[in-house]
Amino acid sequence: MKEITKETLKIAASKMMFELSEKECDELMSEIDIIVSEMNLISDIEGVDDQEPMVFPFDVTSTYLREDIPTPPIDKKEALKNSKDVVDGMIGLPRVIK
Amino acid sequence: MGYMSKGLLEIHNAIIKGEITPLELVKEAVSLALNDDNNAFEYICANEALEKVKRLDDSKKDSLLYGVPIVIKDNYSTKDIPTTASSNILNGYIPIFSSEVVLRLEEQGAIVIGKAAMDELAMGGTGTTGHLGMTYNPWDKSHKRIIGGSSSGSAAAISAGITPVSIGSDTGDSVRKPASYAGLVGFKPTWGRISRHGLFPFATSLDHVAYFTRNVFDSAYLLNILAGRDDKDASSSFEKVDDYTKDLNKSIKGKKIAIIKDIVESISDKTILDSFYKTVEYLRSKGAIVDEVEMDNKLLKAIYPTYFIISSSEATSNTACLDGIKFGNRVEGKTFEEVMINTRTKGFSSRIKRRFVIGSFSLFKENQQELFVRAQKCRRMIVNAFNKVFEEYDAIYCPAAPSIAPIVGSNNNNLSNEYLIADNYLAYGNMGGYPSITVPIGFEKNMPFGANLSSKPFQESLLLNIANILEEGTELKDLVAK
Amino acid sequence: MSDFEAVIGLELHIQLNTKSKMFSSAPVTFGKVPNSSVDYYDFAFPGTMPTVNKQAVIYALMMCNALHMIIDDVLMFERKNYFYSDLPKGYQLTQEFRPIGKNGYLTIKLNDSDIKINISRLHLEEDTCKQFHTKDYSYLDYNRAGIPLIEIVSAPEIKSGTEAAKYVEKIRSIVTYLGISDGKMEQGSLRCDVNVSLKRKGDNQFGTKVEIKNLNSISNIQKAIDFEIERQSELLCSGIEIAQETRRFDESLKETVLMRAKVDNVDYKCFTDNNIPPIKLSAEFIKAAIESSPELAESKLKRYVSLGLSESDASIILDDKDIANYFEEALASGCSIKLLANWVNVNVKSFINKRNVEIKDFPIKPNELSDLILLIQNSKINNVQAKFIFEKMIETGKDAQTIVEFMGLEQISNKNQLLNIVKKVIKDNSKSISDYLKGRNRALGYLAGQVMKQTGGKANPQLVNKLLLEEIQRRK
Repeated sequence: MKEITKETLKIAASKMMFELSEKECDELMSEIDIIVSEMNLISDIEGVDDQEPMVFPFDVTSTYLREDIPTPPIDKKEALKNSKDVVDGMIGLPRVIK
Repeated sequence: MGYMSKGLLEIHNAIIKGEITPLELVKEAVSLALNDDNNAFEYICANEALEKVKRLDDSKKDSLLYGVPIVIKDNYSTKDIPTTASSNILNGYIPIFSSEVVLRLEEQGAIVIGKAAMDELAMGGTGTTGHLGMTYNPWDKSHKRIIGGSSSGSAAAISAGITPVSIGSDTGDSVRKPASYAGLVGFKPTWGRISRHGLFPFATSLDHVAYFTRNVFDSAYLLNILAGRDDKDASSSFEKVDDYTKDLNKSIKGKKIAIIKDIVESISDKTILDSFYKTVEYLRSKGAIVDEVEMDNKLLKAIYPTYFIISSSEATSNTACLDGIKFGNRVEGKTFEEVMINTRTKGFSSRIKRRFVIGSFSLFKENQQELFVRAQKCRRMIVNAFNKVFEEYDAIYCPAAPSIAPIVGSNNNNLSNEYLIADNYLAYGNMGGYPSITVPIGFEKNMPFGANLSSKPFQESLLLNIANILEEGTELKDLVAK
Repeated sequence: MSDFEAVIGLELHIQLNTKSKMFSSAPVTFGKVPNSSVDYYDFAFPGTMPTVNKQAVIYALMMCNALHMIIDDVLMFERKNYFYSDLPKGYQLTQEFRPIGKNGYLTIKLNDSDIKINISRLHLEEDTCKQFHTKDYSYLDYNRAGIPLIEIVSAPEIKSGTEAAKYVEKIRSIVTYLGISDGKMEQGSLRCDVNVSLKRKGDNQFGTKVEIKNLNSISNIQKAIDFEIERQSELLCSGIEIAQETRRFDESLKETVLMRAKVDNVDYKCFTDNNIPPIKLSAEFIKAAIESSPELAESKLKRYVSLGLSESDASIILDDKDIANYFEEALASGCSIKLLANWVNVNVKSFINKRNVEIKDFPIKPNELSDLILLIQNSKINNVQAKFIFEKMIETGKDAQTIVEFMGLEQISNKNQLLNIVKKVIKDNSKSISDYLKGRNRALGYLAGQVMKQTGGKANPQLVNKLLLEEIQRRK
């Protein structure tokens, strides 16, 4: 695991597409000790790494697959009504540079 | 008037006898909601509710929900009704579809009168972090005590006598803990028992539809309506749906109930412990076999961090759609990245951002094995330990919280046994997907507190049976903060 | 170049032509009004959940089988988390940990030898939305968001642009024959990303990978790779290191040009999607999917050759699946495979090329073409007549037999009737007979022409020749 520094926290924030202010960053740094201690409560458990990761609460294996039958699409106006920038029936954004 | 302080059966009988009409019920609830001083609501659907009650379908007259006002937590999609999950990033969002839970309730004739305030995006346990501020505990008129969260407004609305039932959601203990603080029945059925379609996801593998009622019967009745397969939610179960009200009064003679010793021992509040053991004696007097069972203390202490890492990690992905482009509170920028960054920077509170940073960090390739995956492994150990208890016992029974509703801002020692175990153990119910119910068992300083019962997946009938017998013993039902 | 060998890996994304989307039941459409084929899920409205399209799974299984892959009988999906303007949910559902197929191969033919190319994995995923760009603004159309895709990743063992082109051609042929995709690169239903690196011959050390994106035709794949190999080897020869970067192929320059320098591999923070429980595919389900696969070109080729068609003629037919289907249907109506191949490859194709139409718009139905050919086979008409009838069929929409009868075109194959005419022609052309007997073979042609003239072109040419020779011999 990487050492947790203000820098790594800022990187983690930028990967989540938001900025952390200095104040937010300091607050988080002050919580990190506790968080790390709590995380250590997991790694201290004997045999934890021998387990299979648990992804679902219990065995939920299913056989259900949706039939390939299209349903009527949603109304275009409805679909777009929550977007703040609609031009000619499409959502607009400052140019995406490819 | 005053019907909104009652249970579903009483209200229904009043309608049948013609003592009151659905329209009058809705008017009563709306007026109470408009006068609410607990900050329980994000949005009160006064006009929408009155419109709907006028178009109510008579054919549903036999349903106990016919004409009954209900409150829905603001993280359920409700068509044409603003839904923000108490986050600024969703200000202005008006969903174009209703969640399955809402559809099933409305199908029975229930009328949504309001959307309940909550901890922002359901990520919190205090009911103080929503964008409208703290929700107060109606039992404490000085407004110093929290009601708990994240389903804070849902709990406050029903304990303040505004509606007889309310829908919340439970990812760690977000219904079962506030239920304890608010003198309510808080019920979270098995993972997959109720469709999550339309519930804003927080941590998909832990999220449950859950709700508050004033008595166990109402919880059983609601499950009859809400349980069952929904093809829109692939994780919803095909397991047969029972009539959950039919076994409520069955004898619990010979039923085996386990008390997890380490959980009870981490609690210091004498009043809570005394009440708890009184209920244990009562259950024994009804023929139940109640044993104290040991569990690895280290595992119990790991429940909270395990929950925290898994839920924060899954949350980073579940909230990635909140970028301001398709819906929500878009903040402009010069490039599309700037639009996303500005929207998210302004839209999420500091607290949420800090949680996401931890979640994102736990998923990084270089950390994932040590943090996220290890937490998933620990989850298995925890669930295995509880499954082992369930091999021998029908239910696990413990106090739902180590205290009455705390005063806002009181500090926790985050590494103490009481905090790590008694205050946070309920998340085991989410990790194993167990059905889990909190019922009131006593009062301290005029504040209620509850205990929690859980059982094996899909054993709701048995669980509700035990809870109902317990409720008979405590005589603590239909509580309303006065 | 001679010091280096190229190491090439291809990632193909193929849109499946299901009726509804991968995880939502919105219809799959192309060229419709923007944002008119969407469901709540495609817009990532909070609370919407994915459900897995059965047909997409069946198509993926068919493809796995065609590529001889090991099939995973439990379907699971992971979230690939990243933020981009065209990604509605902020993650893409894909099969990172457990692809539905792995460790397969296909064989391509190069200079008459078979080359086996290993395929690492095949997985199901969903498409992103489509973006339109103007000078300073971009526009999003969500119709494409959620269309099922399969991604096929080759092992990095392709050695040249030609091999890569053959590989893509083969995949394209398979998906079109299976009917699971239209496989059109120019329309984006088949997309190809290429990784090229060079290593010194005999070295185990791989060189730095360069990725080439946005290749919109098979010939461009070949050109881009050939150019890239040349470019990299020139750099290496002059001692310049290859930079890890993403390039695109510029069609006008016929060169790859830099798109962006590649930072470290993007960390997609993948984890399992909990909205989709593991889905167990039963042995019967997998078997039924595989057995529903239409016959592939490779197997058709073998069958045609065993029926007497040359491999080259068969390959030309099989190049285009729609033409091959036409051929197959006509063949089923009973005509000779060789004559049919000839008619399809020459006359039918020349018509559709000239008119610039597709085979589905060709006016003569497969069974009608077969009937025409059967008339030739049974000596009812000759080739000259057949071509004439073919034109008339196109013109009038009538079948061959009707035209033959209506125009009295039926070939004269009655020996006695022809013998009389032959005798008369021989009598009237004694000079030609003597010319022929002097060794001028052309004279026989002239005589046959005279017989045809007398019969209005209806005489069976083989029979005329035979009778002429017999009569001449007799008079010697």
